[in-house]
Formats: sequence, structure tokens, C-alpha cells
Amino acid sequence: MRKAAPGLALGAALLFIGVLSAYADSPLFTSRTSLSSLNGEQIYDHICQGCHMPGGVGAAGAGAYPRLAGNKKFGSWAFVALTVLDGRNGMPPFGFPAGRGMDSGPAHLSDAQIADVVNYVRSHFGNAYKAEVTAEQVSALPHPSAELIGPQ
Amino acid sequence: MENGEGSSSLSRRQLLRMIGAAAGGSAMYQAMSTLGFAAESPYQGPIDLQGAPRGASVVILGAGMAGMTAAYELRNAGYQVQVLEYNARAGGRNWTLRGGDRYTELGGHTQQCEFDKDLYINPGPWRIPYHHHGMMHYTKLLGIPLEPFFQVNYNAYLHSSGAFGGKPQRYREVKADYQGHVAELLAKATQQHSLDASVTKEDQEMLLESLRRWGALDSNYTYVSSDASSERRGYEKNPGGGLSARPIPSKPIALHDILDSGLWSGVANGDGLAMQTALFQPAGGMGRIGEAFGKELGPLVRYNAKVTDIHQDDRGVTVTFTDVRSPAAPQTARADWCLCTIPLPILAQISMNVGQDMASAISAVPYTSAIKAGLQFKRRFWEEDEKIYGGITYTDLPINNIGYPNSGFQSGGKGVLLGAYIWGLKAMEFTAMTPPERVQKVVDYGSQIHPQYHKEFENGVAVAWHRAPFSLGCFGMWTTATRAKHYDNLCQIDGRIALAGEHASFIGGWQEGAVTSALDAIGRLHQRAVGQGARA
Repeated sequence: MRKAAPGLALGAALLFIGVLSAYADSPLFTSRTSLSSLNGEQIYDHICQGCHMPGGVGAAGAGAYPRLAGNKKFGSWAFVALTVLDGRNGMPPFGFPAGRGMDSGPAHLSDAQIADVVNYVRSHFGNAYKAEVTAEQVSALPHPSAELIGPQ
Repeated sequence: MENGEGSSSLSRRQLLRMIGAAAGGSAMYQAMSTLGFAAESPYQGPIDLQGAPRGASVVILGAGMAGMTAAYELRNAGYQVQVLEYNARAGGRNWTLRGGDRYTELGGHTQQCEFDKDLYINPGPWRIPYHHHGMMHYTKLLGIPLEPFFQVNYNAYLHSSGAFGGKPQRYREVKADYQGHVAELLAKATQQHSLDASVTKEDQEMLLESLRRWGALDSNYTYVSSDASSERRGYEKNPGGGLSARPIPSKPIALHDILDSGLWSGVANGDGLAMQTALFQPAGGMGRIGEAFGKELGPLVRYNAKVTDIHQDDRGVTVTFTDVRSPAAPQTARADWCLCTIPLPILAQISMNVGQDMASAISAVPYTSAIKAGLQFKRRFWEEDEKIYGGITYTDLPINNIGYPNSGFQSGGKGVLLGAYIWGLKAMEFTAMTPPERVQKVVDYGSQIHPQYHKEFENGVAVAWHRAPFSLGCFGMWTTATRAKHYDNLCQIDGRIALAGEHASFIGGWQEGAVTSALDAIGRLHQRAVGQGARA
């Protein structure tokens, strides 16, 4: 069984900044169509921070949401991209083909959006990975197929 | 859309609209039907676990519906049972928030529920279909009084923000008019001999008569303003007594407007097997069941226990846990067998020596996002102003639906509404907000349906299931393909460890899934225990 990512302890200052910026600039709800116009930062604010929290600080209860801030695993952009594409340990996948997301579950993000949100989390919250991931690089990774959903 | 052959331009437009609706975010009714797939429960009556080996023991992880069902039955069968529960209360997702309750979600936001006495919200399950026989059995056994749950209220609303000037429409009117217009079209097709190839002459006569009755058509098989149609959709002026007695029939909504509004998609909301009358709710909140179960099990349940490691060997299972109030000192529980009901996103993070098949299955099930909000208002305006007593309003707004309390009618005082119940993308977005932001949004959107909201609102709570520290999500999302690959591996006993919970059932997201999976798992564990004889 996979253990929760340990993450690095960061100062309280980062937590504070994260909380202040929470959702402040994105009051509107997206739809499955307008979702496609969101950039990496907006995707993080609208979706990811529900679990990974403002500032990427993660959270722990009976189980944990990995801390993204200062996460050593983020050295591998492919690890982050595959996690967004396929989900991991209960996290919903976002890489299903457009129009084939489950109604009560995953929404579709394009390869460009996944690249953008990967770049966002790898360059924020105290992470400073310089290399930018491209949509083409994400496209080259295995995606969850429509067959995984099956007939509905 | 079967039978695309010969479809008219109208039905093609309908099809386009359906696609548009599906893609455009009005996923509300689809979410309902996703849940509505649940089949009738396989529950066969009280389980028979005779011949438990002397001294045999089971450690159960989780005091939710699955864990407590198992604990109750195994204890009664003679097993030594201990239950470890993360929360300080019994029930798990069977849970009611009442005035005075505090709830801290992942991320640290604490909500203080400020409802008045006797008012509550069920953040998790809120209804029990009559055919969830396992749930019905245990509520009866625990002495839980049940009240009717109104899934369908003809006087509640269907609402589309882009149709009818944003004015909500009564379910009764939409249903009657949709049905009436469809009956008229079908009658017309019959009379124009379009159905001659598929319906015999004799059957056509019966079909016409049945359409007249089903659709409230007039003698010419047309759906018009009449006493007959008003007996379905309601009158412009209701019949009464005395001099002011004469009724005035109402005018149906045109077929085009119903199709154009998309409200037709809400007509069948109560037709799914899981939504059919009768449905019930425990008086005082769904959490009454978990509370009563916890009381029944008494000292068998150890609360505040966070499981950190599950290790089996040839002779038994050792579970390591910490008391969340003093996490420094790990403790262990040891038993011959282990029934683990921990939700999969949590279990996937716990070290456990099971085979790769079960381990892969545990990691393969994403958990759905869901939000529920409870709002307290100064008065029950939905009853006083709009004559809505219980039931559900459906909307394409991000709140998805409004659930009216199914008890305390005409009580004159305050009331608590379910202000939102949402799955999917919008639930993720609500989750990403702080609780006060969620409540504010729910009030803002709901006021488009009930303008009284802003004046009458007092306080509210909003539970985002992905931030629930004890579940990390609402329920497991299976697909046909993931079930084919992983479901049996998840349910198969691995050595001395078996899993149970709604995630290990085909009644996902329903308490009945938890109960039936627990009974199935302990039946198999019992067989294995009997096969191995007394404790080695």
C-alpha cells in the first residue's frame, strides 16, 4: 500500500498566504464547457484546492491529502501529470476523453490544461521547478481510456 | 433515443438539446439517475451464523453501517468482537448535524451548527427506500421510528434558470403537460395509421382509450385546457363551496416550451427504483440509526482510534492504531480475523499486507465529490407561502436541488432546508471554498427560486465530503470496466482480512450497500472460521 506523501514542513507564512488567496478571484462556477477555458491557476483554485488546500499545504485526518508545497516527488513532472490524468488512491482522474467523464465524478481537462496545472503546482507553493511541461509531453503519456468507463 | 428511423426534425432537435444539456453542465438529473441504477436489495432476512468456533475473535475497522452491522451479528453469534472507529461518534457517513454540534473539516475550518432545537440536516444519506430490506430490518430492530420521505412532491418545482423567465414551474404542471402532449401526439400517430405496422387494429382502439386516460385528453384525443387536464395540472381557480365555487380551468404549457426548457428531464425523477414510494427517514435525523447502533454495541467500540497499520500472519491480524487525542503512543488490537470497512481513499494509504489483487482494487476506485448544505430560516415560508410540504425541487443552478423537511409541517416556527445536494464538478468547486462561502453561494442561488431566502435566512452549514476527515470523499465511483477488473478482488477474502462497505457493493452510495456487503463478508469469514475450527 502506498503511504501518504510525506512532504516537507514549510513555515506558517506560506499557509497564511494560501488562505488569503483562496478563491478570492474566481467567484463563478464553471460548466463542463467553460471548464475548458480555465488556466492552470484557475483549475487549482476551482478544483484541486478542495483537497490539496489553499497554498498546497495538504491535510490529514484518518487519511491524508498530500502536501504539494515543497513536495519532493514533484521533481518528476511525469509523476504529477500521471496523477492528474489517472487519479491516485481515491483521487478522481481528469484525463478521460472529452465528453466521457462520469457525471458524478471526473471532469475532462485537456492535455494543455493538464500541462498548465502541472506547471502551476511545480512553480508555486515554494516549488521552483523551472522546466515547463508542454501539452505534447502530456499527450505522450498514457491516458485513461473511454473503455475504463464502459457503457453507462 | 431508440428508433431513430423516421425521426422528425423536432425529435432531432430534442436530441441535440439533450446532448447540449449533457455537455452544458445541467448534469443534475444525470447525477440522480447515476444513483438510481441501484437494484433491489438482495437482503434475505436475518443472517444465520451458527457454530462460531469457541473463542474466535474479529477486529472490525470502522463503526459505520457496515462495521456495526457486522459487529452486531458477529457478537450475537458468539465471536469476540472489537471495533476501532476514527471518529468520536458511531455512524460514519450515517450522520446528522444538530444545533450545538461542531464539525471540523480537513483544512481546519470548524463549523458550529446553530440550528434551533429539533432542527437538523443529514449531511450524508437522508432516505431509505422501502426495498432496502437490510436497512429496514436494522431500523426496526433498533427501535428507530420512521417517517415518510417524500421523494416526489407534485407542488415542488422544476426550475431552469434560462426558461420561463427564470420562474420555477410546479412539477405537477410540467408532468401533466408533458404527459398530455405526448399522449396527444401518440393518439394522432395512431389515428393517422402511422402505427399500423406495429399495433393491431384492436390494440389501437385500446391504445387510444388508454392514451386519453393517461394523458387527460378530451373526447377528440387532444390535450387542451379543460376540467380533465386541470384535474392533473391544477386549476386557474380551484373548485370550492358556495357562491364562489365555480372552478376555472388552467391553460397547459405548450409542448415547445416544455421541450425548450429542458424541464422534461425532471419528470421521471421519482421513477427510478431507488426513488419509488415508499421511502422513509428516521425521525430526528438519519444519524439516529448510527447512534442507536453505537449504544447497542456499547464498550465494543473504541472511538478516536486512527488505524495506521494492518498486519496479518498465519494465526491472526494485528491492527496498529493511535488515539487521536494522544497520537504519540501507538497501540495494537489483535484478533483471528479482520473486517475492514475503512473507505478506500484512506485504506489505500494504510500499510496492509494483502496480495497485489486486493491492493490494486483498493487503489482503483475514485471517490465522488459531494456537497450538502443545511439552511435555517426564520419561518417555513415554503409551506406558508408556496404550500410545499416536503419533497424536492430540482434546478439547473449549481445547488442542484432543494430538499424540504418531511416532518414538522405547519409547526409555525423555524425550519431547516436542504439548500443544496451536488455531485461532480460543481461539488468540487464548492469544496474548494470555505464553509461560509459555500453557505453564502447556496443562499444566493436558492434565492432565485425562493426570493424569501435573503429576508428569512438565519444560519447554515455546508459539508463537503472530500473534506470529511473520516472518509476523504462521498462514495466509491465504479464503472463497468473497473468493476470487471477489480470488484471481485476487492470483495474476496485475503487470508484473514475481508473488506466491506458501500464500496464493496452494487448499491454504491447507499447504506443498503454497506449493510449487505457486511453481511456477505461476515458470512464468508464465518465459513472460513468454522472451517479452521477453534482458535489455534
